Amino acid sequence: MNLAVAFDWSFITENGDELLAGLRRTLQVSAIAIAGAFVIGLVLGAARAHRVPVVSQAAAVYVEIIRNTPILVQIFFLFFGLPQIGIILEPFTVAWLAVTIWGGAFNTENFRAGFEAVPHRFREAGFALGFGRLTTFLNVTLPIGGRIALPSSINTYISVVKNTSLMYVISYPELTTTALNINALTLQTIETFTTLAVTYLVIVWTMSASIRVVERHLALPEDAR
Amino acid sequence: MNLLPDWAEPVLRYMLEVGLRGTLQIAAISLAGSLLIGVTLGTLLTIRFLPSRALIRFYIEVWRGLPILVTLFLVFFVLPVINSRLEFDALISASIALTLWGSAQVAEATRGAVQSIPKEQHEAASALGFGWVGRHAFVILPQALRRLLPPLVSLLVNIIQNSTIAQVIGAPELLESAERQVERLAAPPPIGIGEVKAFPIYATVMVIFFLISFPLTRLSAYLERRLA
Repeated sequence: MNLAVAFDWSFITENGDELLAGLRRTLQVSAIAIAGAFVIGLVLGAARAHRVPVVSQAAAVYVEIIRNTPILVQIFFLFFGLPQIGIILEPFTVAWLAVTIWGGAFNTENFRAGFEAVPHRFREAGFALGFGRLTTFLNVTLPIGGRIALPSSINTYISVVKNTSLMYVISYPELTTTALNINALTLQTIETFTTLAVTYLVIVWTMSASIRVVERHLALPEDAR
Repeated sequence: MNLLPDWAEPVLRYMLEVGLRGTLQIAAISLAGSLLIGVTLGTLLTIRFLPSRALIRFYIEVWRGLPILVTLFLVFFVLPVINSRLEFDALISASIALTLWGSAQVAEATRGAVQSIPKEQHEAASALGFGWVGRHAFVILPQALRRLLPPLVSLLVNIIQNSTIAQVIGAPELLESAERQVERLAAPPPIGIGEVKAFPIYATVMVIFFLISFPLTRLSAYLERRLA
């Protein structure tokens, strides 16, 4: 293979530390955003599924706005638009905030669908046993609906990780920005972008594989339908 | 137009005439390319021949797995290094990157749709004397396409939204046109007005994308319910 010969392996040893620092920031921002998106999705998804007044409608508006506008425009708005009205955010803040808001909206839909897929008779059984609304949610709807929502929510987390690459436009030095800076200095274009692509594929493929593992681990004892 | 301040009209016109036009161009090319490549690969993926399946699987997993921005950099920066004839302008590069991503999505959806067509349809078509190509082109795919419709509308929404990454390499699409106008207005007169108008302009970009995307996501949801 021509490419394999052209790949200068010293690129890795010379730029490895810097790339690792970038990777660490990518993972850090992703971790914050995944945790945030989990909480937002859980709370707002429950509010949507159980039609909690006001919260449910507000969540629907939030979800539609985020899902129907490009995340890159959202990032531009947060980083370049808000300072005009006096809200100045650090690149790091915009980095985790943008993907958290984005992931939260998609996760709200994931959890809403999961909770709504739990049969009504399960909740009725909870009420019949004397559980209150919250206790029924925590002991019946959440364990079953959460499992149903799990694969799609992991897919959202994968997209969250991929979307952190967009922080290149605000020069936050995560993996992609770091790689482009290195490329500008070394001009080792093939090495830079091969390394960048392979790193993302390893992260994304690992997360995809985890869906199957987690699904098997958390499978319900019997089909809940 | 009298409701708007003086600076807004030329900005809006530029965004619609240059920006929206570029966005729709990228979206049209990418959608056509994604459909053509995706439906072909997805159909071929249903053939039980290991090497071809492994190859198509790899194609799907790579382009679905990479952030589209990274794919764009591969097309825009790496291809010209490999061969100078593979140098494309920003708009075409973005279309290629979105086609690679979109075709992977379509291929996966097509595989599912083709496999959902009952075996009897294949057998009946074979009995009528159709070969593999004729059987798929005239009998299986027309039926599979019905099931593909909702995901294809969602794909169109995603392609339109993701076309904004072309801004990163300076292709004239909606977000880029907005950014140019923000910079122009910040310049002192007569070029600009010496003021930063980033907030209303980027808010407008969000509104335009919303007006395009929202009806399409409703349509996709409606089609899904009707076909279910």
